[in-house]
Amino acid sequence: MSTAPGLAAVRTPRQSRPAHRPRPPLFGRRLTRSPLLLAVARHSGLIVLLVVMLYPLLWMVGASFRPDNKVFTTLGLFTGDFTTSNYSSGWSGGDQLNFSRFFLNSLTITVLAILGNLLSCSLTAYAFARLEFRFKRVLFALVLGTLLLPYHVTMVPQYILFNQLGWVNTILPLVAPKYLATDAFFVFLMVQFIRALPRDLDDAARIDGCGHLGIFCRVILPLSVPALGTTALFTFIHTWNDFLGPMLYLTDPDHWTVSQGLGSFLDATGQSSYGSLFAMSTLSLVPIVGFFIAAQRLLVEGVATSGLK
Amino acid sequence: MKENDPGGARGGVGTLPGPGAPAQAAAGGARRRGGRAARDNRAAYAFLTPWLAGVLVFTIGPMLFSLYLAFTRYDLVSAPHWIGFDNFRHMFETDPRYLKSVRVTLTYVVVSVPLLLAFSLGLAMVLNRGLRFLTGYRALFYLPSLIGGSVAVAALWRQVFGEEGIVNKALGAIGIDHGSWVGNPGSALYTIVILQVWAFGSSMIIFLAGLRQIPRELYDAAAVDGAGAVRRFRSVTLPMLSPLVFFNLLLGVVNAFQAFTGAYVVSNGTGGPSDSTLFYTLYLYEQGFAQLNMGYAAAMAWVLVLGLAIFTGLLFLSSRYWVHYGDER
Amino acid sequence: MIHLRHATRRQVRSRARTAPGRGPRRPSRVAALAAVALALLAAGCGQRMPHHTEAELQGRGDIQGSIRFSWWGSASRNDKTNEVADIFEQDHPGVRVKREAADFSTYFNRLNVQAAGRNMPCVTQLQARQLNDFTDRNALLPLDPMIESGAIDVSDIPEDVLDTGRGPDGKLYMLPTGIAYDALTVNASLVEEAGAQLPPENYDWEDYGHFLESLRDGLPEGVSPANYQGGLPNFFIAYLSGLGEDLFRDGRLGFSRELLTDYWEMWVHLRDEGVTNSPDEVSEEPPSPEAGYVAQGDVVSDSGPGNALTPVQSALEGAHPGQRVTTLPLPSGPAGTGNILVSSGMAIPRNCGNVPTAAAFIDFWANDERSGDTYASDNGAVSNTRLLERQLNDPDLPETKKHELTLYEELVARHPENVLYPPGYTAVFESAFTRAFEDISFGHASVPEAVDSFFAEANAGLAN
Repeated sequence: MSTAPGLAAVRTPRQSRPAHRPRPPLFGRRLTRSPLLLAVARHSGLIVLLVVMLYPLLWMVGASFRPDNKVFTTLGLFTGDFTTSNYSSGWSGGDQLNFSRFFLNSLTITVLAILGNLLSCSLTAYAFARLEFRFKRVLFALVLGTLLLPYHVTMVPQYILFNQLGWVNTILPLVAPKYLATDAFFVFLMVQFIRALPRDLDDAARIDGCGHLGIFCRVILPLSVPALGTTALFTFIHTWNDFLGPMLYLTDPDHWTVSQGLGSFLDATGQSSYGSLFAMSTLSLVPIVGFFIAAQRLLVEGVATSGLK
Repeated sequence: MKENDPGGARGGVGTLPGPGAPAQAAAGGARRRGGRAARDNRAAYAFLTPWLAGVLVFTIGPMLFSLYLAFTRYDLVSAPHWIGFDNFRHMFETDPRYLKSVRVTLTYVVVSVPLLLAFSLGLAMVLNRGLRFLTGYRALFYLPSLIGGSVAVAALWRQVFGEEGIVNKALGAIGIDHGSWVGNPGSALYTIVILQVWAFGSSMIIFLAGLRQIPRELYDAAAVDGAGAVRRFRSVTLPMLSPLVFFNLLLGVVNAFQAFTGAYVVSNGTGGPSDSTLFYTLYLYEQGFAQLNMGYAAAMAWVLVLGLAIFTGLLFLSSRYWVHYGDER
Repeated sequence: MIHLRHATRRQVRSRARTAPGRGPRRPSRVAALAAVALALLAAGCGQRMPHHTEAELQGRGDIQGSIRFSWWGSASRNDKTNEVADIFEQDHPGVRVKREAADFSTYFNRLNVQAAGRNMPCVTQLQARQLNDFTDRNALLPLDPMIESGAIDVSDIPEDVLDTGRGPDGKLYMLPTGIAYDALTVNASLVEEAGAQLPPENYDWEDYGHFLESLRDGLPEGVSPANYQGGLPNFFIAYLSGLGEDLFRDGRLGFSRELLTDYWEMWVHLRDEGVTNSPDEVSEEPPSPEAGYVAQGDVVSDSGPGNALTPVQSALEGAHPGQRVTTLPLPSGPAGTGNILVSSGMAIPRNCGNVPTAAAFIDFWANDERSGDTYASDNGAVSNTRLLERQLNDPDLPETKKHELTLYEELVARHPENVLYPPGYTAVFESAFTRAFEDISFGHASVPEAVDSFFAEANAGLAN
């Protein structure tokens, strides 16, 4: 068991093709072979694409620096009247808006959720990926089944349950389930990652006297950095942007998250402030971008260097 | 399984989730030593304790409860009233909006999933290696995925695809006069598709992780053979990446069938104009939480589960023919 | 709850199939855990409402402890609401008002989930349009006994206004506190620029048509005389009301197909005449009034919430400095005024465990001068006439707010029709109405076809 199918596929043409004639390039003559020109071309292509894709976001940033009632007056990015008032009034205008608190709340919930998912999903995934036990098929089908059911229909029974537990208006409904591996997506993701790790490392560790816990901690976890990084990143984004959960369970404004704070800028029956909405939306992206830059090194470089070869 | 198997890492991400393969491996191990099976069994349930507790406390109850509700009329306050299969009959026989939502969703799945995969794979390949500022590029391209279902998106999408949006301004400059894209039933669905493709970052990340793992030797060998860029892509990249393509395809399909936020935000919860963006789960939500037919909503949800189970089952079956795992002979 | 118990048995059985039979964890312990969860769920769903004593039902008892209070609104309204609640807390040491705000679009979704958990806030803000979604499910306490006992004073609320809070059984389930109305919002500066006149006093639909035509040729490029609003339920209700027809009768549509056909054909005609914008534009118009077309100066006139005048004027000032917007009553008809009142108010759910405090809070909100002054009719004109006069007499009252409140007084003086909204009004009637008209606008259906499908859908939905 050695030859990757891709390699075989590459070899086949060589055998069937007369060896003496170099194959003509597919798109006619290459325009250039100069690496500098090539790099310039790639960079400019990427930058053009980026500008197109980021236009909506750039417009939002531009709009966040316009006076509240001039937000929609231009499709351009910047106009003459520059103001930062959307930021100051959005951050803590009035007595209910308190974005320093909202950011702290969001951060607390997000960090706890990430820890919970990393811990519980990796434990669960280890069992499904490496161990043989009764009812494994049924239980794994259950993992997949929970992925397929739209969460809207379990929202009400879950609310009833959390209400009975006295957890409404605490962060527990948003955090506690994460410690019990209820996010099937991540269990699935990690099962697939762990199954790909060579088993001889397990065997080596077992010979050294490690039990399952030892193998899990010393072999599997260090090798699963990319999977853990992916899980952490996706959990971060999902939890940070989640609106429905906090809306149901965190009713006290002191417990509000950033997404709830953003929701409070618009109301069809009263006064909306799009300027503050755009300003705070811009700020709410900052932590995720930061986390992304940190995490993507882990997952992209992590895969490359984790010694899987 | 003791091989210098570069495909293993990638193969894993997309292998069949059926516990079959590791089951066989572990079963082989169990036969070698008698007490191992029992010990594995014990260890497995120890590892599974949190998950089991979560399933029993938070998942199974609500799931089965919603299954029960599918056979009832339930307005969220009064006690559920058993009505047998009436909800299901109504769905397929007397509710034209339901069938409309199925059509909308299927169109969305068929259009958006391939686009999303092609786009994220393409960019992952460009952003894989051999370029300066890769981290910066990746972060910037990931940005749209971060804004997610924020309420701001509705306003942004109007700025782009509205009557007075930037797209129409650009078209106007080259003499094409076009009405609103978000406001017209003929095009509204496709603006949601673009919204989905715009937020392609997550599948790009998974592809990137996979691309990093394709050994350079394969490309070098291909280059020696004189394979051009297209040939290398077809013969090396695609087969080596097929498990990940499969993984992203599977999740893309599941997500697309359950698509909610984009349409909810852009259409302001209505699925409009003229029901052109009435996604399945959007209609389910409307039935359950606005029209207060939670029984009907639950029935819709379980029909979706059934449909998705069949769909993903077929996907798994097809994967035998086009997904190449690193540890296959 | 026979069916529920039934379900529980089924759940237990099916769990027994999937749960691990053997393993280090004793199955009994696992089963116990699940049983507890299921029991909680079953208990939650079958939970009885608290029993209220006669005195409690009359709102009598100690005003103490905590109550939850929920409303919809954005940041600026939340601040005013909080201030009122703060004053109430100062007046009643030992009382705590826990606040739960959400924006209008998510508010009712959350409320329905809370209702399912028997966990609605003791003081719940509702709108007449959704009121009967809750009375129909027997989720609210009638307020009449509390009024009779004197716990809630309604003597300063006009009878017509009070009636907007009644359920189908004639009992009062919501104390109307803020009364909104829809008005014709007109960009007066553009009218002037086009060399036209505002519609005359007591204008009718024909006059409105002439008004739009008089605007057609004198407007700047890209500006339309009217929004293409044939699908806006409130506009149609004004049309009905002017004809003296009922919107609903016995929980079904109360008007004829011919009438709706006429109405929609009128709109199609207006569009053919070129006095409206396109259906595309209407369907992409954002829900916030200040992002709407009148506020952005793209459309001269539209039906809109009367209490949005202030924010709309402010947005218009930003988009087109110097332009001025005003509001007029909606078109009248042979039977009189087209305007109806849309009231918001407060209700006490059956699951409330602290009725006396809730009643005291509602009474305070509806009658206390500090409450009226602080809240300043933020969500429709205050229903209490004494408080309304105070606000109108305030020299610092902004011009647009003054206009809004004065117009409200005029409308109330005309004794507008009271609409009893059936359960499912918003979810069934409004959404089906808008959709059916969209089918006409986008060429998916002819007017008679759309009328037929609307009648079928609305009547079926309302009968549910």
